[in-house]
Amino acid sequence: MKQIRAARLSQLLFLLIFVALFIQTEYRGSDEISLAVNSFLRADPLVLTTYVLATRTFTLLLLPALLVLAFTLLLGRFFCGWLCPLGTILDLITARIKKTAPRQFLKGNFKYWLLLPLLAAALFNMNLAGLLDPISILIRVFTFFLYPLFGNAVRQGWIGLYRLLGDNRDFLEPGYGLLRDYLLPFRETFYPLAFLSALVFLGIVFLERYERRNWCRNLCPLGTLLGIAGSFSLFKRLPARLCPDCGACAALCPTSFDREILNEAECIRCLACRRGCSRELVAFPFAPSANLDQTHLPERRLLLGGLVSGFFLSGLFRFRFPGENERLLRPPGVTEEKEFLQKCVRCGECMKVCLKNALYPAVHQAGLEGIYTPVVIPRLGYCEYNCTLCGQVCPTSAIPSLPVREKKRAVIGKAVFDKNHCLPYARKTNCIVCEEHCPIPQKAIRSEATEERDSSGKKFVLKKPYVVNELCTGCGICEHVCPLEGKAGVEVFVVKDRTPLAEPGPSPSPQ
Amino acid sequence: MKRRLFLRILGLSSLFYRWSLQDLAAADRPLVAVADGKGYAQVTRNAIAALGGMKRFVKPGDVVVVKPNIGWDRSPEQAANTHPLVVRAIAEEALRAGAKKVKVFDRSCNDERRCYANSGIIDGLAGLKGLELKHIEPERFKKAHLSGTGKEWELYGEAMSADVFINVPIAKHHELTGLTLAIKNMMGIMGGNRGGIHGNIENILADVNTLRRSNLVVIDATRILVAHGPQGGAPEDVRVLNKVIASTDIVAADAYATTLFGLKPEAITTTVAAYKRGLGEINLNKITIVKA
Repeated sequence: MKQIRAARLSQLLFLLIFVALFIQTEYRGSDEISLAVNSFLRADPLVLTTYVLATRTFTLLLLPALLVLAFTLLLGRFFCGWLCPLGTILDLITARIKKTAPRQFLKGNFKYWLLLPLLAAALFNMNLAGLLDPISILIRVFTFFLYPLFGNAVRQGWIGLYRLLGDNRDFLEPGYGLLRDYLLPFRETFYPLAFLSALVFLGIVFLERYERRNWCRNLCPLGTLLGIAGSFSLFKRLPARLCPDCGACAALCPTSFDREILNEAECIRCLACRRGCSRELVAFPFAPSANLDQTHLPERRLLLGGLVSGFFLSGLFRFRFPGENERLLRPPGVTEEKEFLQKCVRCGECMKVCLKNALYPAVHQAGLEGIYTPVVIPRLGYCEYNCTLCGQVCPTSAIPSLPVREKKRAVIGKAVFDKNHCLPYARKTNCIVCEEHCPIPQKAIRSEATEERDSSGKKFVLKKPYVVNELCTGCGICEHVCPLEGKAGVEVFVVKDRTPLAEPGPSPSPQ
Repeated sequence: MKRRLFLRILGLSSLFYRWSLQDLAAADRPLVAVADGKGYAQVTRNAIAALGGMKRFVKPGDVVVVKPNIGWDRSPEQAANTHPLVVRAIAEEALRAGAKKVKVFDRSCNDERRCYANSGIIDGLAGLKGLELKHIEPERFKKAHLSGTGKEWELYGEAMSADVFINVPIAKHHELTGLTLAIKNMMGIMGGNRGGIHGNIENILADVNTLRRSNLVVIDATRILVAHGPQGGAPEDVRVLNKVIASTDIVAADAYATTLFGLKPEAITTTVAAYKRGLGEINLNKITIVKA
């Protein structure tokens, strides 16, 4: 029987944890989600680095990433060979993909041209790391593409069974119940950019036909960053080059032995070579001073180029159409758009966890700079009054994790009536579904009763709704439930001043 | 016999005669049982017992639907949802009467998972054998013709096909209809864009109540919401009354419950429309109210 390597075992374990945490990142009866898939991003040094560069602060949320970085300095680029779920997926499928020759243009400094502008842009206040971060890429393809598709397929099958069996389907209920409670998404929501997210992931898989771990060694900015840190590793692989009489390592190594000398920045410490060596020559001894000169660091030209292109990047991506801005509603607790963009890693967890599926990835609303960042679209879903999940799962607290008391006062925007559409105003029809649903105990939407005449001249009482601005949080439930087809009669718009509502005191009864 | 004596006897006997007439009529008069007390489970049982007990409604082997209000992500003290203790007592009684299955559900307005959790209904019904607490499954809605308004509307299959339907609303304020009671609680079995009916809500509700009659109505007035309904949220809008009302006449039950808010039954358009449709008695003078 084939013996499983320790690294592979660890890889499988972490992939399993990743999937389990991903499924767990959903409301399953408890107000708090103690462990979410954000753990992976919190342990992601690329997220850490760009966060620190962009905000010039540190957050304890990213302490695990600091630890990973420290261990990388000590042990080398072990993250890629032992932890990274994307790397694991590539390792698992690569054997089935026939290889042609490696692409030369991906070699050399290409990866630094990805990483350095990314870091420099963060320094100039534009954090685009989420676009290329492997964990973000993976969570996105799961959230926007695979999970909805899976959920929808199972659910449609279940509904199909109802058409077939009618109420007799109830006998199968226990089995489906387990699936529903522990595995399926609660709602099948489809997301914009699902296609792009899938394409990026499939592109990474496609690259495997040129060489193993092509993405990891030639493109991945996280891998590159870890490679730089790993070059300082206190443990060095010996022998540092292929043995002239054997060279088996070249075939065993998934990343760095395509030349004579091992590239320490690419070695992912999977130890495949050590296990495969028939003469047991390979070792990774503690050698702090050994061949430091060999560590490959980007030269000055590259550093400068990266800085300049990052600067350009931070300007090029900034354009926004003003019309889009007025509906660019951010999740609750976000008060400053700029600060939000500095922190958001575009992983899509907030959108996955959102109870009423109010959050969607921005496509064009926030310009190129904001692609994939979460936007509230009230017509599709509203922010549930008592829910604090998006803040809980945000790995960088771009969406702050607020206690319920504070979350209820967090302002997303303000509701505005459109009297040309709203039923009582436009058609003299009683409605006030919005007022009914407004979750604020003192009601941010109220109505006044007026006497009107209908089309036949008969007098009747009409209730006309209006917004109490000081109480409105912009949760969007009014817009969501507005019974008008198409455009709602009440809509939430962005406001600059998103100071939380005042603490509610005992209200004077408005009678 | 002296004339005076004769007249006296005549007068007295006519008095008796009137009483006995009243007694005779009482058999046809709708009965509303009102139970008072702090142990909500027992109060609920008392109210049902005053109507003749659950065995009068539930026969062995029946599939029973208990339809509380679980519409909002609010806790029991906030008086937006039916109290779980009331629902549990009814479910237990129905099971004890031999029900094959008791199904509890509502089409909630807030996220159904949060509503079911926060309303206390999940914990409140835990451990009952034969009880099914489920979210609404959209595929179970079936098109129905509403005769009064001529509309087509989707109604929930499990509610329509149940042998016994027990309507268990909470009594509370409602901005549009004044109050929401048993007649309006039936919105919870309606599919589609329910907001769209608010212009003609009373007639459509009369239609729905015609298609699915409630075999038993139990109104939870253990605590009521007097303002900012149907959702409430502020403790100052809640009044604790410790009352449970039961009746087989949905209009009579709503009519009586209206008085708890200091209002006249005729002020509630949904009650009036249902009365006009012949669904029950609105006139409190023609209703027998029994303290249980």
